[in-house]
Amino acid sequence: MRLRRLLPFVFLLSLGLGAQDAALKDTFLQAKALWATQGDREGASTRFEQVVATLSPKAAALDPTWAQVLCESYNWLAVLDDRSPQTKPRAQARLQALIDLNPDFEVDRTLTSQRLAALFDRLRAENYAPVRLSYAPEGGTLSVDGRPGSPQARRFLPFGSHKLTYSRPGYAPVDLILDLASGDTKAADFKLTRISSTVALYVRPSGSEVLLDGHSLGHAKGQAGPDAAPLVTPLGLRPEEVSEPFIIGELAPGKHQLELRAPCHRTKVLEMQADLATPFADHTLEPIRLDPSKGTLSVHSDWPGGELFLSGQNQGPLPVAQLPVCSGPYDLLVRFPAGGFSRRITVEEGKALAVEARPKPRLAFLGLEGELEFTGRARLLSLLEGLGDRLQQVAYLPAHPGETPQEALARVKASREAELILSAAPIPGKVTHQVELRIATLEGEEERLLVKPLEEDPLGPLVARLNAVPPLHEPGLDLALLDLPGEPGPWVLSASEADQKAGIQVGRPVTLANGKPVASVQALRQVLAAAKGTVTLSQGGPPVNLPVQDQALELPLGSPALCYPAILARLRLDYVGAKAGAKGDEANLIRMNLGLGLMHFRRYDKAIEQLRDARLGTASGVSQGTLDYHTGRCFLRLGSAYQAEATQAFRQALKYPQATLLGPDGPLVAPLARQALEDLK
Amino acid sequence: MLPAPPWSRVPVALLCALPVLVQVTGRAQEADLAERLYQSGERAYAAKAYQEAADTWGQLLQSAPGSAFAPRALLGLARLQVEVNHKPEAAMPLLDRLKADHIRTPEAAEGLLLRGTLLARQARRPAELKDAMAEFNRVIDLFPESPAVPEARFRLGRAWRDQGQWGRALQLFVDAFRLHPDAAVAPRAMLEAAETMDLLDDLPGCLRMLQRLRTLAPHTPEAGEAAWRTAVRVKHRLQKQPLTNEGSWPAGRVKWLRTPTLMANAPDGDLLIYQNDLDHAFRLHDGELAPAGPAAAGAKAMAVSPAGEVWLLSKAGLSRDSAAPMPLNGLGAISGAALDRWGALWVADAKTPALTVFNPDGASRTVASPIANALAALPTGGMAIASDADRKLLFLDADGQPRVVVPYGRDLPAPFRNVVALASDGAGQVAVLVDGGDFGEGVLILDPHGAVLRQATFKSLGISGRITSLALDRSGGLILCDRRNDLLYRLN
Repeated sequence: MRLRRLLPFVFLLSLGLGAQDAALKDTFLQAKALWATQGDREGASTRFEQVVATLSPKAAALDPTWAQVLCESYNWLAVLDDRSPQTKPRAQARLQALIDLNPDFEVDRTLTSQRLAALFDRLRAENYAPVRLSYAPEGGTLSVDGRPGSPQARRFLPFGSHKLTYSRPGYAPVDLILDLASGDTKAADFKLTRISSTVALYVRPSGSEVLLDGHSLGHAKGQAGPDAAPLVTPLGLRPEEVSEPFIIGELAPGKHQLELRAPCHRTKVLEMQADLATPFADHTLEPIRLDPSKGTLSVHSDWPGGELFLSGQNQGPLPVAQLPVCSGPYDLLVRFPAGGFSRRITVEEGKALAVEARPKPRLAFLGLEGELEFTGRARLLSLLEGLGDRLQQVAYLPAHPGETPQEALARVKASREAELILSAAPIPGKVTHQVELRIATLEGEEERLLVKPLEEDPLGPLVARLNAVPPLHEPGLDLALLDLPGEPGPWVLSASEADQKAGIQVGRPVTLANGKPVASVQALRQVLAAAKGTVTLSQGGPPVNLPVQDQALELPLGSPALCYPAILARLRLDYVGAKAGAKGDEANLIRMNLGLGLMHFRRYDKAIEQLRDARLGTASGVSQGTLDYHTGRCFLRLGSAYQAEATQAFRQALKYPQATLLGPDGPLVAPLARQALEDLK
Repeated sequence: MLPAPPWSRVPVALLCALPVLVQVTGRAQEADLAERLYQSGERAYAAKAYQEAADTWGQLLQSAPGSAFAPRALLGLARLQVEVNHKPEAAMPLLDRLKADHIRTPEAAEGLLLRGTLLARQARRPAELKDAMAEFNRVIDLFPESPAVPEARFRLGRAWRDQGQWGRALQLFVDAFRLHPDAAVAPRAMLEAAETMDLLDDLPGCLRMLQRLRTLAPHTPEAGEAAWRTAVRVKHRLQKQPLTNEGSWPAGRVKWLRTPTLMANAPDGDLLIYQNDLDHAFRLHDGELAPAGPAAAGAKAMAVSPAGEVWLLSKAGLSRDSAAPMPLNGLGAISGAALDRWGALWVADAKTPALTVFNPDGASRTVASPIANALAALPTGGMAIASDADRKLLFLDADGQPRVVVPYGRDLPAPFRNVVALASDGAGQVAVLVDGGDFGEGVLILDPHGAVLRQATFKSLGISGRITSLALDRSGGLILCDRRNDLLYRLN
């Protein structure tokens, strides 16, 4: 947040500096012109002073261009100061500053008086000795006491001992030690021995990574100079579009594989023939251009308020359609007002990737309660911290270091950053053998689970439960089927009118499904699960094409394999999505199952809130009659005050004689509702 | 009065606190001892050293009756009495104590369930189920989170079913598997729910539920039960194919019996055959005969208990084991017998215008009825009887009240005169062996409402022997025993 606030200032500052650079250069040029063309000594001095005042505080960090400007300014000021009796004493100080800045700088002898130039030479000779240098071959790098620089024919070095190293790719470097004293004038001649070939590369884009035989050599940086024009122009490029030459030195004999990688570009792999390595020579390859590599990404969600982040970069609110994205892997994150969605994606070049973001409930770990020490505490805590890697159906938020569970609970409740909370409390005893894990929704539905900190995988059962999501639909047909001994396939007990019209015969077995033998009801279920839209059944006669329908299911209650707080949290999120997506029946089915989940926690009043306002458009299987029956059961649980409402709900349920519990093959609601009414009399 | 100096207050306070401290220490020691005694008893029980377990838990109850381990010990002792010593009456005082002194503990739920189960077992008529049902309801109401709840719902459902309250029974069976899908009792509850749906005339629902059971719990014994119950219902009630004679059964075996006269089904589906010349019943298992039950000369009826015991009824009385036969109140023309859900033996006599019901304690009562020439048990808890004198088949409820009356010959091309034998398959079908009249010798298979599902005359089937008994098998077939030719036939 703080950084975000600072960003505009940083931007303005950078703009300001850029503007300042130009103004300073202008000031410097004006100063030179004022003196040269108008003889305005005062005006020139004032401006050179401005340049010196700006640059001298950062003299050590100046780039060569600005260092040259500063040196020239000192030179001009020394000359200007020397012309006036009032300022003459300052001239020596200017020259001393110049020598301190760069002893290799030569004063402009056409501008500087002979006397002043002699003063400059004398001052320099007080601390520095000249060294004459020669290089064979030229074009390498000279390091003085470890500081690299361009090789010059003459250097002024401070008195004392210095180590000079001259190196050039493809040659063995040479070291020289020079001891300099006052009055010395020494020479250093570097003669390098060739040890390998070199290859120079110009790469587009600049910044590409260069790998030789799978090992990274670094990145091709900067921009090529005008000298690269003859190379790049024939390829339709400008020098500034390619990197400065990247030199591969010490190329071992034989063939090599050159690989160039850049984000958002297709990786290029080149074979380097053996003649590049031997005989030893300096080679320059034709500039290498990497082709851009992009795909598109579309992210959609039925849930409102989603905001897309790609590897941490905000891409704006959903839906995002056909967003051009560099190919490669990304951490896709969608932030919703409630729940979160994250996925590791890979965008492939030239392909469109579509993602439907469905928020998952977020589970915040509040921490381990109390300070009680017990064997296995550290291990259990470590397992709890890493729990998120094992969870597929919830997004996990680890505990904040240094925060107590109570503080964490207050934080989560205030921020609503999670839908579920997890806390752990050791069960006190002579020896702590068990830890109680509590999972709860923020609305208060809670489940507890005892784990033993020393068992092999104490969190295994919790992980299994959190990862289990019961389906609310199953693919099915409007057929009731039985496994009968002696029959070759599922035997049709009953079929809807439409299925019978389509050709299904009641009282006969189904022998083929999608052209393959089907021996049992279970086998047919598997075919339906894999079917897309329709299935072709045969009962020995002509094949019959039937639509595969999504049949509604009830949430299984009382199952130790499920984590009901997590299911409730998920259903609450799903309901928001279904409602926003205008999926009416789907939303109402979710609502009914929310009611069932609340009945599991005996929150009958809350369950009625869900059930009463839900309406299912179907009349058979899990349908409106099912919903009415559960409503009646909830009213019954609220006591005799709601007897009339319970009666009304059971009467309603009786209007749907084909309504069932659990699923399409579950028990009929009608006899149960009838009995409930009987009991209410 | 001057206040005591501060230095004297500490020892005084310590003296005051001493009894409390001693008491706390004593309690801690007692709890520790109770835990160790309980665990010692548990170890002994696991090692089948039952007497040691009983002694150790008894010691715990004496030394620390108020400890947290006392209810566990009481429950352990009660289970030992029921499961090991087979003395439910000895378990009851322990369970009473558990209920009275430790109703707030989790063990109370298990105790109440066991108590209810024992009370239900003791019940000899529907009204006697009240106390058991109260215990089951307590488990459900007081301990909704207890693992005992699914079983309590299931047993409560059975109690309602035994009282003929099928709607209530169905509700509880459905709740037992719907609210506790992973409980051990869930497959049993599904099976009972399916059977109850059939009683409520919802045959498709029954079949769907049986299929659901097979899909969700395919490897359970209940799934095996569901398979044959599905098969016989579909074959008899939906497919209703004409009966055909498959010939002697098991295939090709002729003259292999010695005057077979009676047949019955054992609880596991095996066929029991009484051979008159051998005065003994035999169990037919995988094609082999093995003696079953006591010897009895000239047996006129055969009944099988839920535990698989064979009871033979003859003029000499009821033979249950090697002991002397129990007299049957002078019934001299026994025409049929069957056991009901309460363990009472219903006996039909061809010369007595009533049914005689013998309770397990030996007491008997009569149930008003026309003279019955044959009798078979129904899954409703009642009996089916045939009265040649009234030319009617009657399906009686558990109280002996006729619920279905089927005149001889209804739904048939011609009437018959006599019913020789009745058999039922436990899934609602009743087989009738008839002779005389224009119909002549033959068989009928009736649905739970007495409607004829399948029928055939022996003439049409090519059977010419003397058929004296019949049994419905678990594949939808009908087995006939021919005393003249010493063989069995199977109709399919």
